[in-house]
Amino acid sequence: MSLCGSIEKGRGIGMLYINDLTKNYGSFTAVNHLSLHIPEGDLFGFVGPNGAGKTTTIRIVCGLLRASGGSVRIGGTSAAVGSKVMKRMIGYVPDFFGVYDNLKVREYMDMYGSMYGMDSRDIAKLTDDLLELVNLSDKKEEYVDTLSRGMKQRLCVARALLHNPKLLILDEPSSGLDPRARVEMKELLKNLHSMGKTIVISSHILSELSEMCNSIGIMNRGQLITAGRIEDIMQQISGGKRMHIQVASGMESAVRSLKEQPGIRIESVRENEIIMLFNGADEEISALIGLMIQNQVVLTGFYREEGSLESLFMQLTGGGAQ
Amino acid sequence: MKLRWNPIVKKDLQVTARSMRLSWGLFAYEAVLTMTFLMALSIIQQSSRSFYSSGNVYGKLIYLFPVLAVAQVCIVAMIVPVITASSISGEKERQTFDIMLTTCMSPFSIVLGKVMSAVLRILFFVVAGMPIMALAFVVGGLSWSYLFYFVLTIILLSVLSGSIGILCSALCRRSITAVILSYAFYFVVYGLTFLPMFLKLFMTHAENVGESMLLLLFNPIIFYEEFFMQLMTGESVFGQNGSMFSRDEVGFITYHLSQGRAWVFLSAACILLLSLLLLMAAAWKVNPMHSSSGRRRKKK
Ligand SMILES: Nc1ncnc2c1ncn2[C@@H]1O[C@H](COP(=O)(O)OP(=O)(O)OP(=O)(O)O)[C@@H](O)[C@H]1O
Ligand SMILES: [Mg+2]
Repeated sequence: MSLCGSIEKGRGIGMLYINDLTKNYGSFTAVNHLSLHIPEGDLFGFVGPNGAGKTTTIRIVCGLLRASGGSVRIGGTSAAVGSKVMKRMIGYVPDFFGVYDNLKVREYMDMYGSMYGMDSRDIAKLTDDLLELVNLSDKKEEYVDTLSRGMKQRLCVARALLHNPKLLILDEPSSGLDPRARVEMKELLKNLHSMGKTIVISSHILSELSEMCNSIGIMNRGQLITAGRIEDIMQQISGGKRMHIQVASGMESAVRSLKEQPGIRIESVRENEIIMLFNGADEEISALIGLMIQNQVVLTGFYREEGSLESLFMQLTGGGAQ
Repeated sequence: MKLRWNPIVKKDLQVTARSMRLSWGLFAYEAVLTMTFLMALSIIQQSSRSFYSSGNVYGKLIYLFPVLAVAQVCIVAMIVPVITASSISGEKERQTFDIMLTTCMSPFSIVLGKVMSAVLRILFFVVAGMPIMALAFVVGGLSWSYLFYFVLTIILLSVLSGSIGILCSALCRRSITAVILSYAFYFVVYGLTFLPMFLKLFMTHAENVGESMLLLLFNPIIFYEEFFMQLMTGESVFGQNGSMFSRDEVGFITYHLSQGRAWVFLSAACILLLSLLLLMAAAWKVNPMHSSSGRRRKKK
């Protein structure tokens, strides 16, 4: 897909290359010729409605599912999916996961650490640091099955970081979390991103991703509809940004002056609010506000619609969204 | 390279040591063993008190050992598949198996770890039953070294049963079907291995079995029978020095195997080989790179 180029532009070397990936379940195609390129150091959001094929793609990348076609490469190596070299480079947090009864947090970390062939003493030291990072230091001696959902999720992230992977993949990390836990998770991921990890997150809540990701890919019915930096995508497809202008008085002159401007399409005019689509730079917005004030328009609000990315998503994924 | 614990074994032992199930299991195991011991003892006493008996109770106490041993063997053979059959499907049900597969553990070491942890758990039981076994040994007048050999055979048996269980666990999605499938598998190993011999006997009007018994090398029943015969009487299942058969009644290989202790050792090797094959099959099955279609995940 030509869109891949747009992410690459002027940024680090590639971390994850997915090329022409296909997965069939019988006659059903869950992933359809998906090509994607994620540069190193990116926080990439993978968005799509239920059944889009996000989990399928992620499981193929992690070596948990065999692809029907196409290839996946990580960190510039040519190692095969599912090989040990590849597994060492990926930290995977699945969408649903359980924990064991009767196992303490410390032992949980120790077990997974030793599954990577690490030394017990190294694991113990790393565990302290990682639990600190995910804010679970005080739970070290607690049983994993007594932790809350959010804590388990963070523990799973800590676990996925044990072997210091280059690429962290999280499948719907905030599903089933309350708002507070979501914020904590988001902070944690932002934190990890700033530490230089490449992170891939899947979600079907676009607004959540748009706050932390620097690039996203939108997927629907097994196909990648678009991928790129968030700003680029917004520009590329919406063809304008929806603005709300609240006006206390001087409505007619406001509408008149807006209509004179190029690149503005007025969507609706209500009693004291104008909704318009605006396709221009931020400087033009300030010029516009200045112009309206000159024309004796009393402005009480001027803002960009919050859900615009969401509506873009709906528009892109068509009937597939639920 | 430093020898290290398989992480799965370590975790499984940690988890079981903390669960109440282990205590109850041990209690039940001990209770069954003690009951068997007392029952065998009372039967032996009763039979020696009867009118026709020589009245020498001590000569018969030697039978305490095989009775207790057989009881233990049966318990082990019944329990191990239950432990291992639920191990992989249990991890899948708990959805921890995927995480395990994304680590550097190879599918074979995952499968092996599961079987090893089952064998070790069984050894808890066997060791706990040791005092009763020792008592049977002492009153029966058997050598101590036999107790050691017996533990070795228990390990062998639990490796085989564990491998059967783990393969079924890899094949089935639900633990309960895996347990049922393992018992079906038992029928093949314990029962169907007799089939060639019976067919041959039937076809030749019981004149010649040829090499049709060689499949029985994989059968733990014959293995244990031979083992006990060797321990207790120094004879073989095939009679003293294979006297049960004349040379032309059986095939060449069978005839030579029935001499001395060759059968026990070869049978042990065959059982180990079978276990290894089952383990490899299970490892192949759980490797996601080998199955073309992934399993459907349950959603909450
Ligand atoms: N084992 C399977 N056999 C058959 N079809 C499957 C299997 N696993 C997934 N699918 C199908 O593949 C499609 C993609 O599923 P996938 O789980 O990747 O979606 P998703 O984007 O992760 O959705 P969600 O947001 O619900 O997690 C779905 O239509 C699903 O029904
Ligand atoms: Mg999913």
